[in-house]
Amino acid sequence: MDGGDRDVFERSLRHAVETHSGGPLDAALLELGWTDALAAHTHEAVSILFELEGSLHASSSALDHVLACSLGLDVPPTAGYVLPPLGRRSPPGAVDGAHLAVRGLGTAGLLARETTVVVARAVNTEVAFLVPAADLVLRPVRGMDPELGLVEVSGTVAKDALRPEVVAPSWPAAVALAQLALGHQLVGAARTMLELARRHALERVQFGQPISGFQAVRHRLAETLVAIESAEAVLGAAWEDGSPTTAAVAKALAGRGARTAARHCQQVLAGIGFTTEHEFHHYARRALVLDELFGSSRSLTRELGTELLATRRLPDFAPL
Amino acid sequence: MDLDEFRRSLDDWLDQNEHDLRADPAAKDTLDDQMAQLAKVKRLTYEAGFMRRGWPERVGGLGGSSLLRAYLGEALTSRGLVEPGIYSLTEVLAPTMIDYARPELAATMVPRLLRGDETWCQGFSEPGTGSNLASLSCRATRTEDGWSVTGQKVWTSLAQYADRCVLLTRTGDADSAHRGITALFVDMDSPGIVVRPIETMHGAPEFSEVFFDGVVVPFERTLGEEGQGWSVAMDLLPYERSTALWHRAAYLQQRLGSLLQAAPPGELEPADVGEVAQLLYALRARSRSTQRRLAAGERLGPETSIDKVLVATAEQAVFDLVADGLATGVAVGDDPASERWRREFLYSRAATIYGGTAEIQRNIIARRLLDLGSDR
Ligand SMILES: Cc1cc2nc3c(=O)[nH]c(=O)nc-3n(C[C@H](O)[C@H](O)[C@H](O)COP(=O)(O)OP(=O)(O)OC[C@H]3O[C@@H](n4cnc5c(N)ncnc54)[C@H](O)[C@@H]3O)c2cc1C
Repeated sequence: MDGGDRDVFERSLRHAVETHSGGPLDAALLELGWTDALAAHTHEAVSILFELEGSLHASSSALDHVLACSLGLDVPPTAGYVLPPLGRRSPPGAVDGAHLAVRGLGTAGLLARETTVVVARAVNTEVAFLVPAADLVLRPVRGMDPELGLVEVSGTVAKDALRPEVVAPSWPAAVALAQLALGHQLVGAARTMLELARRHALERVQFGQPISGFQAVRHRLAETLVAIESAEAVLGAAWEDGSPTTAAVAKALAGRGARTAARHCQQVLAGIGFTTEHEFHHYARRALVLDELFGSSRSLTRELGTELLATRRLPDFAPL
Repeated sequence: MDLDEFRRSLDDWLDQNEHDLRADPAAKDTLDDQMAQLAKVKRLTYEAGFMRRGWPERVGGLGGSSLLRAYLGEALTSRGLVEPGIYSLTEVLAPTMIDYARPELAATMVPRLLRGDETWCQGFSEPGTGSNLASLSCRATRTEDGWSVTGQKVWTSLAQYADRCVLLTRTGDADSAHRGITALFVDMDSPGIVVRPIETMHGAPEFSEVFFDGVVVPFERTLGEEGQGWSVAMDLLPYERSTALWHRAAYLQQRLGSLLQAAPPGELEPADVGEVAQLLYALRARSRSTQRRLAAGERLGPETSIDKVLVATAEQAVFDLVADGLATGVAVGDDPASERWRREFLYSRAATIYGGTAEIQRNIIARRLLDLGSDR
């Protein structure tokens, strides 16, 4: 996508995300061709949309399309996707003898689907099952961030009743792409928190001066920017090298960065930021939940460390 | 020559000349030894042409992208052929000379630095002037013979080895702050200069105090114009936070790799290792995009303070991990390997001090990148 096309694409996405959220945003994305763009211009489609959703506090079922795009399964386009359970990046399904046990999450759109795709770990690869939504228990989640519209999915289904069954060897690639999407969404949310706190710091007067003059305040905001830029830099590197390891690092940094942003910005916003009169809390809630999707910063960090200790060597990341 | 071609031919050459490039096995890895090794590696890489790539032809270079310099420093550092701190002074001081020295002076002097014939130092800090650089007081006055410099510098890295010094002096009124500063290029063997090495915490006399008493410096040794010293200093700092920083990142990556090899099983917590590795990813990814902007001819500015925060944070995190994983060696080991880890751990404590402290970087980020207004 060249510069001019990218600008037009971004403007139309921005308009859609500013004016819609949830189901209407899904419809708007279909209409303006985001789903087609996803296949042809994956990087732009994912990074622009998800950063906008993060920064404007919108939600959609775009993550389903992200999974569909990278798994490339021969399934009906109307099928919804079951995401890994909270905090994890492993597939939501487990084959246990004649049964498929399902434990995971879904985007809001899942409630309207008749069929779901459940990826499950098999011996050396992953297999995907088409499971009728009616055979699963779907619980709309309120929790920390009711507006995100997550759905909790669980159930045990007799394996023989399920068809077709397709190998899904690209699960790690699908996880990586979802992590990049969520990484951009977290960066978007963190940037908005920083901007809310920055504006507040310039306007709020205490001790006869804007609180932006106090070094403790300034350094918290500086720290927040450093955390955001770290995540952004690794997101860029992950798009460039296409490696699942780099995508996982980017997601972890984005999750931790958004938590850092929430902590510092909340302190700068102080009383007003603790109220629902101020929009800060929406972003803080969202950051906490997004950090848990497709691997939390904590679990991804521990897994990376475990792997490095096992192999005792560092990959040569971000070469010139 | 593009980067890939450069990378291939440099790697081949380094493989083939491994023996000649290696430090003398009898050397003890003292600072004297490291300086001798640095001079040797610079000379050999200059003669083979690699050290001249990425520098303009008018100062003896062979032209080409600055990415070639970044890769050269990375390759020499990660093969353990040079110590990155002393190697990278070139990356800080040569660009300053190219931008601000009279062309004939730059053409004469820069090749000597690149070839390893000379060592240069950077005389900014003074006993009364650290973070508040604009308050410096080492004075230069006009005389018939040139500038006459009287005053004192402190913590000047490598001054005891240096042939030349990029020196900041006060030429305006005592209260002229950043407006009254002039940068000079001073021969360290000039009469009136006394250099006294200072012992440091990490055990190598890395820096010195330098006394100037009526030192005469010819006018043609002025860098930029009289009163332009502040710009010289400010333009130098982004160099310190770009190519030199990329070299430091390569060094940290190499040391973390060595730690993974050296740490006894069970001594390192997976979560800690993962977090430090992530900091290094972030540093490398950020610094790489800065390298690319530099190579594309972009002017670097206050956004490099983020790079500087990342490198200081990563360096201390890597060596905190060393102190955990190799606790016995670092605390009570007296073998050469433990001594090296200990020295590096202690040196890492300075990462948030030199080149603008961690607090000064955050001040710059707040004022210049977040537009929070003046902090005074
Ligand atoms: C290993 C090493 C090598 C060095 N090499 C050189 C060299 O080659 N050439 C050279 O000129 N100098 C060199 N220095 C000196 C270095 O640049 C100074 O130490 C540094 O600028 C800080 O100055 P200072 O030590 O006087 O600390 P101060 O400026 O006195 O600061 C003390 C503390 O106060 C904090 N502080 C100061 N001002 C502010 C503020 N406005 N807001 C918040 N906090 C503040 C600082 O962050 C610091 O924590 C070197 C130092 C080291 C450690």
